[in-house]
Amino acid sequence: MYLLRLSFGSLANRRFSALLTMLAIALSVALLLGVERIRTEARASFANTISGTDLIVGARSGSVQLLLYSVFRIGNATNNISWESYQRISNHPRVDWAIPVSLGDSHRGFKVMGTDARYFEHFRFGRGQSLGFAEGTVFDDLYQAVVGADVARDLGYKPGDEIVLSHGTGSVSFVDHADKPFRVSGILARTGTPVDRTVHISLAGMQAIHLGWDSGMPARGGRQVSADDARKVDLTPGSVTAVLLGLDSRIATFAVQRDINQYRAEPLLAILPGVALQELWSLLGTAEKALLLVSSCVVLTGLIGMLTAVLAGLNERRREMAILRSVGARPMHVFGLLLSEALVLTVAGIACGLLILYAALGLARPWLLDHYGLFIAIQAPASREWLLLGAILLASVLMGCIPAWRAYRLSLNDGLTIRI
Amino acid sequence: MRVLTALVFTLAWLSCTIALAAEELSWDDLIPPGYEEPMPAPQTAHALSGMGEMIDESGDPAVQLNPAAPVVAELDGRDVRLPGYVVPLDLSEGRVVEFLLVPYFGACIHVPPPPSNQIVHVISSEGIELDTLYQPFWISGPMRVQSVESELATAGYRISASRIEPYVY
Repeated sequence: MYLLRLSFGSLANRRFSALLTMLAIALSVALLLGVERIRTEARASFANTISGTDLIVGARSGSVQLLLYSVFRIGNATNNISWESYQRISNHPRVDWAIPVSLGDSHRGFKVMGTDARYFEHFRFGRGQSLGFAEGTVFDDLYQAVVGADVARDLGYKPGDEIVLSHGTGSVSFVDHADKPFRVSGILARTGTPVDRTVHISLAGMQAIHLGWDSGMPARGGRQVSADDARKVDLTPGSVTAVLLGLDSRIATFAVQRDINQYRAEPLLAILPGVALQELWSLLGTAEKALLLVSSCVVLTGLIGMLTAVLAGLNERRREMAILRSVGARPMHVFGLLLSEALVLTVAGIACGLLILYAALGLARPWLLDHYGLFIAIQAPASREWLLLGAILLASVLMGCIPAWRAYRLSLNDGLTIRI
Repeated sequence: MRVLTALVFTLAWLSCTIALAAEELSWDDLIPPGYEEPMPAPQTAHALSGMGEMIDESGDPAVQLNPAAPVVAELDGRDVRLPGYVVPLDLSEGRVVEFLLVPYFGACIHVPPPPSNQIVHVISSEGIELDTLYQPFWISGPMRVQSVESELATAGYRISASRIEPYVY
């Protein structure tokens, strides 16, 4: 115990270099754990976004891309699929339920999704949880919208508020659907998924705001359709962006998937969400490994920095060692002193690194959620993270042996008199 | 001391036999003996699945639907052990807790998917790490067989996995 107290005292005497060394270790620890934390949380967050959906159908593209734009609202659809195809798919004898999804518009940076009541009934996330309402109900009018929890929180919406949707998916659009404002009919309970950041309207509503847009811009003059006139028009959508399917038997998944992929009238793609997620993982796996390797190297650099600082200080501290020897310390004690010094530095570095990590996570959390839809839970280090910390500690003990051994040799040679 | 050793050995032996009690199956055991695939009518490769026509513009879907492949009803309730590849369906905390077990890895797009008696629906509480799915697994647990009632009902096998271990060649 007195060894620890001595090493504390000795470090306090050289507090500036000790502090810098500790800071280098702290930053590298924070970086390593941060990479690990974001990696695992990103995976958990992705995996929690969809559940219970057997197949996702969209225009033919890549399976990962279809998964990303239909469920995670990342990227854009290559094409829509026709309403006829949607109806044929939903009438497939194996299909239990089909949720149409129509994307492409936004409201102040939040994606707008056209769908129908089946979405609120059948969509599942996490471990089979269904969507719940915090306030209000499902839309039952053409110009009603259900907003996600983040939309309501960030923009301060209550049921009954009026909102104007914009064309396109940018955070600001210079072409609004101002002629057909919507009213908030309900606010969904928080899910921790991209649903929180989505404005849901009916497919007919999606069709209504685009009446007269045949030339790719809002209708002018006589071709304009007012909000009330739009109610009299046939609002059957011409197309949807994607379809989420639930089947009556999971064993039929492959057969239905093949049926859809072989559909001759239109090139379609059906994917199993789990398989697409697996593909995404293996795609990201290489990058994750590279990141982990780089941050491990940073930790190693931090530890070598500590080694250098302690080794460089040894020569100046020969007098200190001699004094210790004169009051009865054995060479073994000198060894222990130097080793405990490395240990103190590393433990302090790890503690400080954890502090930095949690502070950074706390600060970055809203931003990550806003920009990447990534929900990071602030929780105690997981077993894998403790393992990493243990490895760092072990490495520091091994490294600490080097200056300790050198100091041991020196104090054996020097005794009380220093010969330089 | 000797009694204790004997006891330990008996326990070890018992646990071995319990573990081995699961009946090891091959994928052929899931097809009723003597069953032969009906010869498909000569068709282009694209239409080989038959069901592929179902949502096409032409034809009445109900007529062209293949009846579900026959299953071996005797397997119902038995404790089985079956090797195969995992196709993930549902995840919980990054682990695959519901999946389809199939006899080969990856989808071959030249031929139709395996018939329903060559797919096993597995539910597991412990789950499998998603990263490890490139390798085959042994799945052990009680087997349930749903027999065909009508043409539209789904026949198939289901295992509640009590034990999942990597398959070693």
